[in-house]
Amino acid sequence: MLVSFFLRQYWEPLWPLCARGESWVSVMEALGEYLDGKKESEEDQSKSYKQKEESRLKLAKLLLCGTELVTNIQVAIDIREIHRRVEEEDIKRQRIEKLENEVKSSQDKFDEITSKWEEGKQKRIPQELWEMLNTQQLHCAGLLEDKNKLISELQQELKKKDDQYVKDLKKQSDDICLLLERMEEQVKNVMKTFREELYHIEKAFEVERQELLASNRKKWETALQAHNAKELEYLINRMKKVEDYEKQLNKQRIRDCEEYNMIKIKLEQDVQILEQQLQQRKAVYQLNQEKLEYNLQVLKKRDEESTAIKSQQKRKINRHFALIDDEKFREIWLMNEEEAKDLIARAFDVDRIIHTHHLGLPWTAPDFWFLKNVGPISQQPQKSAMQIVEEMLLRTEEEEAEETASESESYLELPKQISEKTAKRILMLLCDESGFLIESKLLSLLLPLEQSECYLLRLDAIFSALGIESEDDLYKLVNFFLQYRAHHLSSSLQSKPCSQASVEEAGVEGTSMESELELAERTEMQGEKEESLVEGKKEKEKTPASPWVIHPNDVLKILEAFVMGLKKPRDSRAPLRVQKSVRSNSKDSEYWQALTTVIPPSRLNLWDALYTALEKYHLVLTQRAKLLLENSSLEQQNTELQALLQQYLTAKINSELQVPPTQVLRIPTK
Amino acid sequence: MQDTVTTSALLDPSHSSVSTQDKSSTGGHTSSTGPQPSKPSSITPVPAKSRNPNSGANFHRMRRIIAEDPEWSLAIVPLLTELCIQHIIKNFQRNPILKQLLPEHQQKILNHLSPNLPLAVTANLIDDENYWLRCCMQRWPVCHVAEHGGSWKRMFFERHLENLLKHFIPGTTDPAVILDLLPLCRNYVRRVHVDQFLPPVRLPAQPQTGDRSDSGSEGEMEEPAVDHYQLGDLVAGLSHLEELDLVYGVKDCGMNFEWNLFLFTYRDCHSLAATIKACHTLKIFKLTRSKVDDEKARIIIRSLLDHPVLEELDLSHNLIGDRGARGAAKLLNHSRLRVLNLANNQVRGPGAQSLAHALAHNTNLVSLNLRLNCIEDEGGQALAHALLTNKCLTTLHLGGNELSEPTATLLSQVLAINTTLTSINLSCNHIGLDGGKQLLEGMSDNKTLLEFDLRLSDVAQESEYLIGQALYANREAARQRALNPSHFVSTITASGPENSVG
Repeated sequence: MLVSFFLRQYWEPLWPLCARGESWVSVMEALGEYLDGKKESEEDQSKSYKQKEESRLKLAKLLLCGTELVTNIQVAIDIREIHRRVEEEDIKRQRIEKLENEVKSSQDKFDEITSKWEEGKQKRIPQELWEMLNTQQLHCAGLLEDKNKLISELQQELKKKDDQYVKDLKKQSDDICLLLERMEEQVKNVMKTFREELYHIEKAFEVERQELLASNRKKWETALQAHNAKELEYLINRMKKVEDYEKQLNKQRIRDCEEYNMIKIKLEQDVQILEQQLQQRKAVYQLNQEKLEYNLQVLKKRDEESTAIKSQQKRKINRHFALIDDEKFREIWLMNEEEAKDLIARAFDVDRIIHTHHLGLPWTAPDFWFLKNVGPISQQPQKSAMQIVEEMLLRTEEEEAEETASESESYLELPKQISEKTAKRILMLLCDESGFLIESKLLSLLLPLEQSECYLLRLDAIFSALGIESEDDLYKLVNFFLQYRAHHLSSSLQSKPCSQASVEEAGVEGTSMESELELAERTEMQGEKEESLVEGKKEKEKTPASPWVIHPNDVLKILEAFVMGLKKPRDSRAPLRVQKSVRSNSKDSEYWQALTTVIPPSRLNLWDALYTALEKYHLVLTQRAKLLLENSSLEQQNTELQALLQQYLTAKINSELQVPPTQVLRIPTK
Repeated sequence: MQDTVTTSALLDPSHSSVSTQDKSSTGGHTSSTGPQPSKPSSITPVPAKSRNPNSGANFHRMRRIIAEDPEWSLAIVPLLTELCIQHIIKNFQRNPILKQLLPEHQQKILNHLSPNLPLAVTANLIDDENYWLRCCMQRWPVCHVAEHGGSWKRMFFERHLENLLKHFIPGTTDPAVILDLLPLCRNYVRRVHVDQFLPPVRLPAQPQTGDRSDSGSEGEMEEPAVDHYQLGDLVAGLSHLEELDLVYGVKDCGMNFEWNLFLFTYRDCHSLAATIKACHTLKIFKLTRSKVDDEKARIIIRSLLDHPVLEELDLSHNLIGDRGARGAAKLLNHSRLRVLNLANNQVRGPGAQSLAHALAHNTNLVSLNLRLNCIEDEGGQALAHALLTNKCLTTLHLGGNELSEPTATLLSQVLAINTTLTSINLSCNHIGLDGGKQLLEGMSDNKTLLEFDLRLSDVAQESEYLIGQALYANREAARQRALNPSHFVSTITASGPENSVG
């Protein structure tokens, strides 16, 4: 209302606007009524939405109206300004017209005055001039007065304008105050209405919310009740079911328990059976293991045997090949040697001819060792222990048969001057005593054989067991036995001096083994030298004494000692053989080299010189022969030619050919 | 002596901090006292006893005294970071450390910095809006941050600059005052709004002018001497300037009015024209209440021809006549101008005709304001004709232009055809009763117009009311369109009425 009051006051002269200003409140009221009517008609829409719409419309209207109210001032000022401008324009135009009129009239007056000055110049009479000057003065004063009047009028106007300006300033400030007031009012109003509307809207929302809440709660409660009822029902059902299941569970449990026990018993029985079986299996397993171990042992033995046999076979094969090689070597050697000897013989023939025929010197055939040599140069090959034993046994058998044997050979065989018989006896002793070294299987095999062969095989087995392979080893063994005996003997001699009949110089010996050996040898030497059966018998009697001394019980000790001693030197034996073969090779080359130099170089030089001389001689002779031939041919020609000449000379033709000179002259004239 | 020093050093930091007061006061005494026999504990509790010469002698006693000291508190020594921050705040002017710190520490410092720090330190270092909010609040009681793009920093610099410019007196004030600020504010100022430019002070001439003002203005003679501040350097330096709002005049002169306080000289005009021509970021240019006549308007408009981004030109409350309007019409089709305001000038029929001619085929202009001119029916009819073909203009203000029935007749035709216009103002004209009826007829076919101001236009109340109803319907329809996304979203919503102040 305050606003409208101001409005009215301000717009006193502009009453249509004033009416508008008053109508604003009524518009608001009308709007409210309109909206109320609308509210009822749109009951179907939600309350909050309606409230919102309502408020929005109301506020929009309020804003519009309020803005209009505020802007009304501007519009009013605008129109006032326009009116002012129009008035101002009018006044301005009037003023300009007035000024123009004034200018015109004053110009006229001025023109009049100036024209009068011209007149005045023609005036001669001073009174007239004075009079005229007076009137001129009056006119000028009038003109000036007009002008001054105008100026004062304008100044008056200006003053009015200044006042107007002050008034305007005041009015403007009033306007601004009013504007501010209205704006403030508007702001307050709008804020108030907004707040109210907000409150209304909130209330509407609240109411709606309450309603919703109530309805929802109702729904919720009914739903909850239904739910509770159902829950109870379910619970009862469930309890029933639980009881049921419990019963079933118990039954099941009992049944399961029984079943479990049964199965348990059965399984325990099974376990027992299985354990028994396991025990059996274990026993079988052990048995098998033992068997297998035994088999393994056997097989190992067999393997060893087979390796031994293999090596033996290899050795045999090697020996066989060696023999064949030797044979071949020997054949080739012989062939080559024959050829070489042939060549040498021819060379010697030639040499002899040269010497006797050409040089007239006596010729003596050169004598070299190698010329008589036939076959390959080689040392006696080492025989194996068994061969020697075999030979030895054979020989002794022969000896036994014949009593007399070619001792020389045996001495060659036994360079260490150990009598064969001694050796044999020792070996026999060895054979008898160390039967444990021979496998029982072999013994059973040997039963049907002859005694000598039996011995041989037995010895073979013993030697292989002892590791005796070569001749040397055998001799060593025998020697060892003898030494042992000697040693033993000496010790026994000290206790029983000179009990041995065969020993003549017992006092001398007894110190060292060597001396004793020498003694034995010497005795044998003596025996040999004598070459008598008696002595041989003596020898026999004497010699047995030595082996007898060796007690069969000692044999094992001796063997043990021997084996112990033999172990060491065995290793170094293999390379020795290789050396031997190399040595023979060098000798071969030497031999063949020697064969090539049968004719000494000096003689070769001689031959060369002779050859050149003879060549020269031959040249001369051939020349001479040529000349002689030439000569004879020439002579023959000569005789032929003489014969021809003779023939020609005697021919008839010659006479026919004689032409008389007359005839000769005639021809050209023709 | 030694004992006391060591014992005090042995104390807990909390104790020492609390006891510093005591010790500093008692320091002189304690240093002079030797290890004297301790007093009975029953006497010691009194705080005044701490000044007793014996107080520092015993460590245990010292503790007890402090424990019963009413000034003693549980507050512990602030954290080292806290102390450092305090120190930084205290010495920020000399040694501004900010960017190297952790964000929370930065925030703490910013919350405690004084708003009075020199701008040279803070301008380019601090971006925190809260700090600038405090600066603004301290300086100005009323702050409309929305007018400054919602940025307090921008607001501070814009208003600071405005303040300097407003109080700059050529020849007296050192131009360096403004130019020194330039490097600090160049990145933040987007709008320069200056509603007064002071003329140079001429002390000896003061009485003379005072005398003469009564007998009429003699300002023309001294015109070269009354140039205002030249904006060229400043505007060239502001890289983000978008809006220039200038008034060459003096505010609140009241009874000290003199004509030569309101002199927009030719030199001012030329330099301003060069300035705005060089400023390629300028979007809005306003030069109001500055006595810009045809000649000056043409100078300015010429400099704005083919400007790349200018969107709004406001030359209201000047003395622009038909020639200036013709220039503006030329500008319409040589720029991207969207808003043209020539309110309260002296445009008459021919000027409006040329504007109408330009408007007929223009596709940029959205708003045209010719309030308080005098285009009369001659210009009004021309504009209405132009609006028959124009498809862009939404707002037209022809209030106070001596329009009458013929224009209203044509406008009613426009209303029936045009579908872009949303706001028309024909207040303070002489439309008449018949004109009002015709307009009402036109409105019956229109579905887009939201505002139609016919106040004080001699229109019958009935027609005005009916027109209002039609507008209301249109507004509701527009609101529905805006709410419903499937339809075309109109830029002007139901809140439009607030703009009618124009």
